[in-house]
Amino acid sequence: MKNKITKIVISGEGGQGIQTIAKVLSISLKEFGYHVSYIPQFGPEQRGAPSISFIQFSDNEINYPRFYKADYLVVLRERAIPVVNTFISKSTTVIFDSSTIRPTVIKQSDNKKLAVPATKLAHDLFGKRNLNLVISGYLTKLFSLDNKEVWKLVRLQLKEKFSKNNGLEDGAFKAFNCGYEFMPERKNFSQPTFKTSKKIIISKNQDREAFVSPELCKGCGICIEKCPVGALKFGDEIGVYGNPIPEIDIDKCITCGNCYRFCPDCAIQIKKINKK
Amino acid sequence: MTKIVGKKFSMPRCFNEKTKPSLYCPGCGQSIFLKHFGFVVDELMIQNRMTLGIDIGCSLLAWNFFNFDIVQTHHGRSVPVAVGYKLSNSKRIVTSIMGDGGGYAIGLQSLLHAAFRNNPISVFLLNNTGYSMTGGQMAPTSIPGEITTTSPEGKDPKTSGKAFHGPELIRQISDNKAYIGRASASNPILLQKMIKKALENQIKNSSFSFLEILTPCPTNWKTNAKESFKFLSVLEKEFPIGEVIKNEK
Repeated sequence: MKNKITKIVISGEGGQGIQTIAKVLSISLKEFGYHVSYIPQFGPEQRGAPSISFIQFSDNEINYPRFYKADYLVVLRERAIPVVNTFISKSTTVIFDSSTIRPTVIKQSDNKKLAVPATKLAHDLFGKRNLNLVISGYLTKLFSLDNKEVWKLVRLQLKEKFSKNNGLEDGAFKAFNCGYEFMPERKNFSQPTFKTSKKIIISKNQDREAFVSPELCKGCGICIEKCPVGALKFGDEIGVYGNPIPEIDIDKCITCGNCYRFCPDCAIQIKKINKK
Repeated sequence: MTKIVGKKFSMPRCFNEKTKPSLYCPGCGQSIFLKHFGFVVDELMIQNRMTLGIDIGCSLLAWNFFNFDIVQTHHGRSVPVAVGYKLSNSKRIVTSIMGDGGGYAIGLQSLLHAAFRNNPISVFLLNNTGYSMTGGQMAPTSIPGEITTTSPEGKDPKTSGKAFHGPELIRQISDNKAYIGRASASNPILLQKMIKKALENQIKNSSFSFLEILTPCPTNWKTNAKESFKFLSVLEKEFPIGEVIKNEK
């Protein structure tokens, strides 16, 4: 059909790079000769709040940027699902990140679901910041665009970030190509392993004990910055916004209480153990 | 050995633990302020007498932060609402939390007249030198040369003015009993002491108290934890910390 407009919704958490993927996708679609419209959903400028972008492309002109049912829905975090569930119709193809989202949460039959464990791939292979490029690479293939041309546009978009850190571009290119070559999981989805644990992490020795709650920690790094002896560093556990959370070296700690004072989210506490 | 159950292990008792983790960004200075505000409410044991007015801006994200009464108002209008509340019910301890956009730019007249009348309320103003909820635009409090989304080449003091010093202005017209000061999120122990003084001034002296708190905004400053506190120390040179004392001349 010539007049068909393809409607895409890309959603996730603020700070994941949703708007970057959307921008790259719309610019590359335009370069390949389509008419494109792209608007982000405006809301509070907040990290961790749901972030949504709406894209349409067609051979003919597009008159209005909003729509109510999507043809393709990309969702990267479970927190965004309540907001985007209304865009799902019977014919919607849902592309989701199976390493963070349980497939049962999405109200769509399993035939129409495609899974890319982007967070897991990015974390294991090329640094977790590149998860948006895995998705970007996958979308390039889905809409059968030329990956070399799209990568040029990605480089143009992220030029500033790449110039600050030399190692970044390598990982980003690998992530993009990995996404391009990835065969999505159908029906046999992998387990959502990247979930925040609800248990409080306790570490102790005979003098003091430390409590860190992954459910509360947002991974801002203030405690690491304010620790006078360097007993804290980022560890392997994942906090509520998908960031790594601090790990404490209990033998180095001097129980000064700076981390507990400065923590904005009340996620860490150190206590002395009274000897009798 | 201590046993720890639930999320509330290091929170003040007056926090509403069901709403945590809060809506604030990672590393937000306002959460540091609200935490120590909670500690002071616990210390003075005034939780069942508290009323809190919140404003437009990031301060409204505290609408379910505490287990006491909270009223949400328009830009800078949390001060007149708090004044009216205190007039009708003088046994309550009425406080107001607002940002520098609501307090200094849009609703300054309400703040000035409350200070001029010496109404017995406590006002806490969080200064992060920008309009953070709408994407970090330039505010009156932005320091000269600061880069924001509406001043990409740095704030020009010739056209946009120097940084706005609120507590010094309010000191000029306020009563002698009023407690006016400025604290910073980089020194939480001093911050807690000053919050306590501001609340005690309302309870014991029944006069106006105003505290400005410098807070980091990592999302709009585009900084990490280390750079946020570095920029905060730059701000502390521009805005001196401590109680603002009346010049008797």
